[in-house]
Amino acid sequence: MDDAGLEGLFAAARDDAPVPSGDFMARLTEQALAEMPVAGAQVPEPRPGLWAQLWPALGGWRGLSGLVTACAVGVWLGISPPAAMTTGLGLDDLWGRNADLGEMGVDPLSGFELALLEG
Amino acid sequence: MPYDAMSERADEELLAAYARGDAAAARALTQRLAPRVLAHAYRMLGGDRAEAEDVTQEALLRLWKAAPEWRPGEARVTTWLYRVTANLCIDRMRKRKRIGTDIDAVPEVADAAPSVAEQMQQRARAEALQGALDALPDRQKQAVILRHIEGLSNPEIAEIMDIGARAVESLTARGKRALEAVLAGRRAELGYEDDD
Repeated sequence: MDDAGLEGLFAAARDDAPVPSGDFMARLTEQALAEMPVAGAQVPEPRPGLWAQLWPALGGWRGLSGLVTACAVGVWLGISPPAAMTTGLGLDDLWGRNADLGEMGVDPLSGFELALLEG
Repeated sequence: MPYDAMSERADEELLAAYARGDAAAARALTQRLAPRVLAHAYRMLGGDRAEAEDVTQEALLRLWKAAPEWRPGEARVTTWLYRVTANLCIDRMRKRKRIGTDIDAVPEVADAAPSVAEQMQQRARAEALQGALDALPDRQKQAVILRHIEGLSNPEIAEIMDIGARAVESLTARGKRALEAVLAGRRAELGYEDDD
């Protein structure tokens, strides 16, 4: 059997393809419809990643820019507090300028010891 | 959507519509895919129609179940179906071989009126080829059917069989040589002496 002969057999096989009967097609269609998800039902989407979940929780770009500004202002006040915050409001002690911690600069009675004294 | 409009849509698009509950897409996909799956299963299973119908039903059922999770662009529906169908057939063929069913019976060509005789000769050729295909190793048989009867390209077959394109070429070449050897003594019986 040569190539041409074999090609003739392949062509015969292509022509001999089985034709599905009407009953069989009806059964298959019925099965397809029975397995079909209900119209309007949500097809489950892949779960979003951690950042995708965190982003809306932070309020998106607007929320994040507010957070960054608040952090920057906090750092700035900590490093270089404006004079208005320390004068005239009696806050000098708070910033430690007049606090008397003795010569060693150490609090002689810690909060822990006070708690012990009080029982 | 009307059925006619469905014929223009890609299988993947119809499957996505099916997953959203589109009954017209279910009908269109069944009409389009079932004949191809049935023909492939029929050839893989040595012309056993009843078993080919079982495989078709099972392969399509798996497609419907996979539809909601189908990721567009990941695989072609036909490629996926050919793979599932071939695997189901190979499982059945192995079971048959274990229980020793004879699948190589090829009927003789009978004398008849010319047009009927021609039809019978075509049928006899198809059956002779089927008998010879059944004598091949499973993977060679699958590659030859996909390439020379279903008319798929080598890259498509490579994807279906999960092998390289060169391995497909090798399988189909060896398969054809084996078929030529099996059918060597049957030229006259299959009407090739008269055709030359």
